[in-house]
Amino acid sequence: MAGHILLAVFNGLLIGLSRSLNGRLGMAVGPMRASWWNHLVGFAFLSAALAVTGGWQLHSAVEAPPTAWLGGLFGALFVAANSLVMPRLGTLRTAVLVICGQMVTGLAVDWLAAGKTPGWTQFAGITLILLGTFSARRAGHRNGK
Amino acid sequence: MIGRSADWLSALAAGALLAVMIACNGMLAKHSAPMFASWVAHGTGAAMALLLVAGWSRIFGHPEAASQQKGPAWAYLGGVPGALTVVLAAVTTNGPLALSGTIAFMLVGQVFFGMAVDRTGLFGMARRRLTGADLRAAGLVLAGSILLVAGGR
Repeated sequence: MAGHILLAVFNGLLIGLSRSLNGRLGMAVGPMRASWWNHLVGFAFLSAALAVTGGWQLHSAVEAPPTAWLGGLFGALFVAANSLVMPRLGTLRTAVLVICGQMVTGLAVDWLAAGKTPGWTQFAGITLILLGTFSARRAGHRNGK
Repeated sequence: MIGRSADWLSALAAGALLAVMIACNGMLAKHSAPMFASWVAHGTGAAMALLLVAGWSRIFGHPEAASQQKGPAWAYLGGVPGALTVVLAAVTTNGPLALSGTIAFMLVGQVFFGMAVDRTGLFGMARRRLTGADLRAAGLVLAGSILLVAGGR
């Protein structure tokens, strides 16, 4: 259990590392080119990993609904947007705002697309997230930006 | 917390894009496997990014970045930890943490990482003082996210 917790936290560090490298590249070549390099390098890396493990699953994947194939489209936009704002907002603030947008949208997708009605715990969670984000924004305004 | 409103909204929108990306890719992973689904997303994502780059210079008549420097070589490797994430997440979601625990602890890791980079100015980012407002926001968003995933996300 402790090992899995450490592994999951380490995984979060890897996400941060990936976004920071993309943010730094975006400062030099522009956020959209950074998104292109991120996807190209990741694609090469995963191609090698799949070649080693033999995990090609095209036969079963073709049965997935069309929307299942659109992830990369949104992913490319995500990396570009994240790389654009990270050098301006700072790493922690960017991470916190992205988590806020991700959690609220994730709940909405589950609710509207998958029909999973959120419970009270989840409404409490969303309230805390929005409270955290907007109280911080107000504090920024009070301190004269 | 400082920063322009447009940047704040862009960061929130980025999070929304990420959630939709994860929802789509999760569907594909259900019909195949996490690593294969991520491979597909990286391939289609590369094509999409290329369209963005080409579309930008076509529409605006100039490349997106004014200073066409190359940047340090290590900055090109962001795709590697990004791809590794999928593999590690597959390990922890199949263990005692399940999906909700995996998400929660990955968020904790992201917040730690953000604090460390802001404090140290690693990766060519500006060094920033962590304000009380920043830490309060991080704490509230983290606590809310953990409630959210504990409640069944």
